Amino acid sequence: MRNILKKEMRLSASILTYLFIPFGLMFLLPGYPILCGAFFVTLGIFHSFQSAREANDTVFSALLPIAKRDIVKGKYLFVCLVEAGAFMLMALSAALRETVFSEAGPYKANALMNANGFALGMALVIFGLFNLIFVGGFFNTAYKFAKPFVAFVIACFLVIFVSEALHHVPGLERLNASCTEEMLLQMLLLATEIIICFLLTAASYAGACRKFENIDL
Amino acid sequence: MVIAEVQRLVKKYPSFELKDVSFCLESGRITGFIGRNGAGKTTTIKSMLGMVHPDGGTVQYFGKPFIGNEAEIKKRIGYSTGTVSWYPRKKIRDIVSIVKGFYDTWDDAAYRRYLDMFSIDEGKTPLELSEGMKVKANLALALSHAAEVLILDEPTSGLDPFSRNELLKLFQTLRRDGVTVFFSTHIISDIEKCADDIVYISKGQIAAAMPREDFIVKHSQSGESLEDTMLRMEGGAMHA
Repeated sequence: MRNILKKEMRLSASILTYLFIPFGLMFLLPGYPILCGAFFVTLGIFHSFQSAREANDTVFSALLPIAKRDIVKGKYLFVCLVEAGAFMLMALSAALRETVFSEAGPYKANALMNANGFALGMALVIFGLFNLIFVGGFFNTAYKFAKPFVAFVIACFLVIFVSEALHHVPGLERLNASCTEEMLLQMLLLATEIIICFLLTAASYAGACRKFENIDL
Repeated sequence: MVIAEVQRLVKKYPSFELKDVSFCLESGRITGFIGRNGAGKTTTIKSMLGMVHPDGGTVQYFGKPFIGNEAEIKKRIGYSTGTVSWYPRKKIRDIVSIVKGFYDTWDDAAYRRYLDMFSIDEGKTPLELSEGMKVKANLALALSHAAEVLILDEPTSGLDPFSRNELLKLFQTLRRDGVTVFFSTHIISDIEKCADDIVYISKGQIAAAMPREDFIVKHSQSGESLEDTMLRMEGGAMHA
């Protein structure tokens, strides 16, 4: 498995995927819909799928001495690794906002979503949707990715819009509270969203393995 | 000794069908897989490598079915194509550094020897290589992991006569080393020059699968070259 991951990272990946990981730091931006950072990270991953297709990566991988299922596993591992890297930057940004910069004026006056447990979890939900809709959709054909990406973009911006709107709904203001103010609630929300992300990815992976096994390359 | 066996392969497409394709590859022999464009050569080869799922039939290597032993079998076979290049903008050196990790049998000394033999500059990208050099680079990869069977899809396609000749001579050298070579082509003179066995496919069906000498005895009319025989047979098949 180490070899297939190495292949993904060094041969299949586009440099843009790595360059887009720091978009996770957008969680530091006040007055900005911070979940867009998660979208930009997925846009970076999309570039890897594009360059891999141009390089006949799928057929090349199918000729390597591994089972077809391992090709899918390699792709998902790579995607999840990039998402995990970006998530760590988001978590770091959220921690900085809630500690070192907690008294900073721009953050106190922030009218949009705060970088808290709920926001971090929603970023993971976006990654889960990307894995389900785009990565899973790609493995319908192992070739076409435009439709899955458009479908994901629609779902992603819907999630961003809803997430940004929710804390303005009376009674849901606590969604935007800081982790220090609402530690238990924020951690519960984050834990729930981690589970959602995991389930979306696991369902997508299982479907992709099944579909890829039956595809004619 | 039979090293690979294709039995009753069937694959249906809306406008094309592979019908009961069966043949064997004998160890240490060169088999030419010939047929006109669209006859089913690539579909057969892809089915042999698990890239296309046949609707029926089986493929076995070394006495084991391909399905279920995919990873183990792929370690012992090599594939090259003259029509597709991988990672066109990556240096050969970088591609090889990844590929060799997949093979326990990778032999760096052999790889260096093939680079020298084929005059391949591993600092180049596939995009910078001619068609012939791409085939040779793929062959160097396949041979450096000690592949026992080489499956080559149109390796001579797009090559100049000199490179084609070089490649066919290489097949003969590999045969001396005990490697089984199976190559598809639509160029009959390639078969004449080096194949021990002929598998002839026409309209998705195997028209003949036998040693070249037997094929000539069975199908050639007096004074006819192999090319004339096959053209006549193909003409007959077209009018049938």
